[in-house]
Amino acid sequence: MATREVISTGNELAAMAAVDAGCMFFGGYPLTPSSEVMHVISDLLPKKGGVAIQMEDEIAGICAVIGAAMVGQRALTATSGPGMSLKAEQLGLAQMTEVPLVCVNVMRGGPSTGLPTRVSQGDILQAKNPSHGDYKSITLCAGSLAECYTEVVRAFNLADRFMQPVIVLLDETIGHMHGKADIPTAEDVEAGIVPRKRFDGPAEEYFPYGVGHDEPAVLNPMYEGYRYHFTGLHHDKNGYPTEEIETCRKLIQRLEDKVALHEDEVESYEEFMMDDAEVMIIAYGSVSLAAKESIRHLRKEGIKAGLFRPITIWPSPAVKIKEHTDKIEKVLVVELNIGQYHSEIQRAAARLDIDGLFKVNGRPISPHEIVSKVKEL
Amino acid sequence: MSKTLMRFTGVGGQGVLLAGEIFAAAKIKTGGHGLKTATYTSQVRGGPTVVDIQLDDEEIYYPYANDGEIGFMLSVAQKSYILFKDGVQPGGTIVVDPNLVHPTDEDRKTWKIYEIPIITIAKEEVGNVITQSVVALAIANTMMNAIDKNTLIDTMLSKVPAKVHEVNKKAYELGEKYAKEAMSK
Repeated sequence: MATREVISTGNELAAMAAVDAGCMFFGGYPLTPSSEVMHVISDLLPKKGGVAIQMEDEIAGICAVIGAAMVGQRALTATSGPGMSLKAEQLGLAQMTEVPLVCVNVMRGGPSTGLPTRVSQGDILQAKNPSHGDYKSITLCAGSLAECYTEVVRAFNLADRFMQPVIVLLDETIGHMHGKADIPTAEDVEAGIVPRKRFDGPAEEYFPYGVGHDEPAVLNPMYEGYRYHFTGLHHDKNGYPTEEIETCRKLIQRLEDKVALHEDEVESYEEFMMDDAEVMIIAYGSVSLAAKESIRHLRKEGIKAGLFRPITIWPSPAVKIKEHTDKIEKVLVVELNIGQYHSEIQRAAARLDIDGLFKVNGRPISPHEIVSKVKEL
Repeated sequence: MSKTLMRFTGVGGQGVLLAGEIFAAAKIKTGGHGLKTATYTSQVRGGPTVVDIQLDDEEIYYPYANDGEIGFMLSVAQKSYILFKDGVQPGGTIVVDPNLVHPTDEDRKTWKIYEIPIITIAKEEVGNVITQSVVALAIANTMMNAIDKNTLIDTMLSKVPAKVHEVNKKAYELGEKYAKEAMSK
């Protein structure tokens, strides 16, 4: 795949990626540290015939995005933690109605308004289950400037494949850092777009939710002659509310299985110097940059450390994690929260002796702190 | 020099961010690696702001300058100076605007401190206070010899509107002149 070199920030790259991936609508509300996503896409979208709207609040932002997606457009919203809390109900609606959209969350300190301008990874568990009810979240996490671009592109393709919201996590550090990124050309991204499925048969034979046990709904764009119903209530193959026992069970099981039985299509991770690693560091997002730097130092001192970096955070690459943690005794999870992914690693590894290095004061974890912690293991 | 770590500090609204972006972009143009990160507070104006600039021939992973390893710092606000000065390695260079920042005698023993009235130069000699970031850019580059001067100026000009090219070139030349004078004292 051909690449191009750009000098930019993570937030700008996320906005560029959306446009290149065919997004034609943005609805949102500016929220530090994500605002530049909205600034940049507000400039780019009208030039391509698209629309960007600053709505009256975060909730209206995602409502508008759901509407755009219902008429067949690829649509984006971007926010930070407090906005995710506000959007939670609508993320649940989009899961239940199977409306594809992409939501970028540039993480800052929380809970509540927290530390608006400071870095955090406190929204990891929120991304797994933003709203009530059962469904299988797809959450991607960018660990470099280039991935702020490539993961947003991937998110749009996954949203259309699985017909559900896809969350892309950035954090304040990666969203605002400014440097070089080698990213795919816009032509290659366009060529890689896989649009959502549509039904082309006679309207009376169209049942948007009448799909196989592990398949996503097939939602034709509204106003094109195919009539069906959208509701957050449990619904039948036409989308109409129902309380019929088997229909209800099958619906929620299908929301789980359409992702769970196809995790190989979603899984993504990086292994950095893992081949001969005797110490396994697990980190994601901007913290993985400090981890890589720390590995450079540790290797110079003869300590064979390696990094395992989940890129798809949810569902987690649990099988691959266990493969490593079965062989490597010293495992350290480094994250900017109080152990949100640490608990997932414990589950995946089926081990309670996984170490953790956590920070929750809005400051980044430095490579030196990781080096010191590894030496203590 | 393969790796250069610089830190610009001020208060929100002074425009120190742009100088960092110019440095990073210029280094990348020469085939190297450059990264700029900024840390600021939720106070839109008046809060302490710090910009870290890393220039390296090798790939840079961690985007912040490690405290204790910074070779050059420029500061135009007392509160930011106090907060961030300890990141500078002993014997490193610190440039302050003497109208706004007042180092202690102890500081002068620890670091090479130069006093250059950056804001006054921009306001009165260049004639546009906004050019202070370019004056600062010139001072930093002259003292650190980080990037080829013409590459840096070309990058700077590509980031500002054409109508202010001349005034920014003037700001660069003045910054360079004051830096050379300060170093020769």
